[in-house]
Amino acid sequence: METTILPEVTALGVIIKAILILAIIAAIAGFGTFIERKILAFMQRRLGPMYVGPYGLLQLIADGIKLFTKEDIIPQHANKVIFAVAPAITAATAFIALAAVPVFPDFTIPFVDIYVPSIASDINVGILFVLGMMAAGLYGPLLAGMAQANKWGIIGSARTAIQFLSYEVVTGLSILAPIMMVGSLSFVDFNDYQTDGLWMVVYQPVAFVLFIIAGFAETNRTPFDLLEHEAEVISGYATEYSGLRWGMFFIGEYANMITIGVVASVVFLGGYNDFWIFPGWFMIVAKIAFSFFFMLWVRAAWPHVRPDQLMWLCWKVLMPLAVVNVIITGIVMMLV
Amino acid sequence: MSLEQFKNRNVGTQNYKKLDLSHSPSSGWGEFKQVVSRTFKPELFVGLWVTLREMGNALLGGKMHTTQYPFEKLPISPRYRAIHEMLRLMESGNYRCIGCGLCEKICISNCISMETRYDENQRKEVSKYTINFGRCIFCGYCAEVCPELAIVHGQRYETASEQRASFSLFEDMLTPIDKLNLQQEYQGFGAISPNADDNIKKTPLAY
Amino acid sequence: MYEVIAFYIFAISTMVLFTITVMSKNVLYAMTALAAGMVMISGFFFLLGADFLGVVQLIVYVGAVMALYAFSMMFFDATKDIKEKHQNPSLAFVLGGLMALVFVIMFSAPIIGENIQALYPVGLAEGLGAFGNAQDVGLVLFTKYLVPFEVAAVMLLVAMIAGIILAGKKMDYSLTECEASDKELEDEILKGGAK
Repeated sequence: METTILPEVTALGVIIKAILILAIIAAIAGFGTFIERKILAFMQRRLGPMYVGPYGLLQLIADGIKLFTKEDIIPQHANKVIFAVAPAITAATAFIALAAVPVFPDFTIPFVDIYVPSIASDINVGILFVLGMMAAGLYGPLLAGMAQANKWGIIGSARTAIQFLSYEVVTGLSILAPIMMVGSLSFVDFNDYQTDGLWMVVYQPVAFVLFIIAGFAETNRTPFDLLEHEAEVISGYATEYSGLRWGMFFIGEYANMITIGVVASVVFLGGYNDFWIFPGWFMIVAKIAFSFFFMLWVRAAWPHVRPDQLMWLCWKVLMPLAVVNVIITGIVMMLV
Repeated sequence: MSLEQFKNRNVGTQNYKKLDLSHSPSSGWGEFKQVVSRTFKPELFVGLWVTLREMGNALLGGKMHTTQYPFEKLPISPRYRAIHEMLRLMESGNYRCIGCGLCEKICISNCISMETRYDENQRKEVSKYTINFGRCIFCGYCAEVCPELAIVHGQRYETASEQRASFSLFEDMLTPIDKLNLQQEYQGFGAISPNADDNIKKTPLAY
Repeated sequence: MYEVIAFYIFAISTMVLFTITVMSKNVLYAMTALAAGMVMISGFFFLLGADFLGVVQLIVYVGAVMALYAFSMMFFDATKDIKEKHQNPSLAFVLGGLMALVFVIMFSAPIIGENIQALYPVGLAEGLGAFGNAQDVGLVLFTKYLVPFEVAAVMLLVAMIAGIILAGKKMDYSLTECEASDKELEDEILKGGAK
């Protein structure tokens, strides 16, 4: 360990960081809907939202007003408490997961001299915490589907359960090999491991690909968007939701996309280290932005898979590959 | 041709050939090879590249498809039969209508009504002329029967209105006298679009 | 101070949630309360400095076990209350209460007698605990408790294989690809249609 003396982490710094995460990520997550619509439109040679504000930039506000003022419908036979709580679970777990993720490098606010740490809460099992919180995020769609007394909802939540449970295995196993190499579960250690050497993706390309694939499944993105696939199950778990509650599912989904982007950037793509002439904060933002863009890009390009193909892919391809990758990593580490 | 062939409507047992069936592997090794080849074929990345290329074309190459409709309009085919227009004579600026009444006579939905009288030069003058667009079926007979090419179909296709019977007066359909130089001669029903050449594409014979 | 406040918040919410789990007649309430209670329990681990165990509690109980419960509950109508049939409610109450009492006495007796000692205290600077939470758990697990650990692993493996065998009798027969995997039909089609 380097013996650099870090400034003291004050409660104020942590609070600033937490507010930064909540404000920025919530705004970006909302803005992500605009970016998604724009990029999907460009890839289909359309313009996307254009009329609200310059280039449609204020579309987000228009959508927000629409969602806020929409009638909040709770179906007659639904379990009202659970139905109301479920969207909050999705949004809350998505943001709690972000608490243990380094979104920017450490910095000190000039003039007032407040040190803001890179992570709101640097628990030394950061990666597991994020995985655990994303696992807990499963309850949002699950309870939503079960509470709404709707057959599409129940199919959607059943798909949620199998998809999230199955792909958690792949996520955990694929990230295990980098954990073995670094020897720590803290994101900061992961970042420091890649400060001087190559990026982790060079050592662990298989784990990276597996993690990205499983990340798509855990964030419910297009090749694996079976939970709410319109053509099959109307909107899955979100069938009966309207207005702000539905918006909370949306915010949670986009926050999860950002979380996966941050984890992939920090664990595999060199984190917030300086690179060539680019400073660390620029690198991490660029990497997160690229992974976000990649998710939209894939959505524009690829069709989604069937549910049985999804399970086949998880248990017969990805999981054995992940196990083999872990074993090979272990053997190499023992020999070298 | 015998009758049985017509009676056999069971389309499921016709001589369709499934093209992919011959490729399906029979052994475990074959399945494995199929999985490996499908895994490492760059087809997925071809898809990614195509979407990215189209995005580049749209943003940088100016190949955006969108027409921002209320602000931009695509040219409409001259064959299209939209709201009628009354044309003027290019030389004198008088309206071409001679008040013969053929259009009123031929109108199959009885939506044209006109009244004429003789003016001081003993020339026939249209005193009233209305078309009820709530009844008009835009059949085009009036334009076809007009001996003077006075009533034609124009380019105004946005015909939504607040009332079921929306009448149009002669003066509204008449070309404004100050825009006489912009008046287009009617090309007729068989005419091709002004941008017909642009719309010609290579037929994808491979499909 | 903060720890005490947090402890009481976690303790009260855990008890309330588990009471709901036991008392509620609605499957969905019971399941949600149980899952939330598991999250609250992981809070205790974090308070005691056992980050790794707290996260494992989250992943295993909240993420996996409870999700499986939820999956099995999709076979019922989760929005309806369950009609419970008690033959003898007082007997159930007395037996349940007695069992709870016995458990409380069993677990509190060593604490009252101040007879409880951590053999491998986690997070202390002597020997163990010098590395970190996850490493401590690993060291204990692979030295002192190696045999129980392996036995548990073998048991889980046995259970998994048994589950696969019970569930997977017709695993190679795919219902969705039923038509395509029907060899005779396939051959017929290849030969050029049924005559």
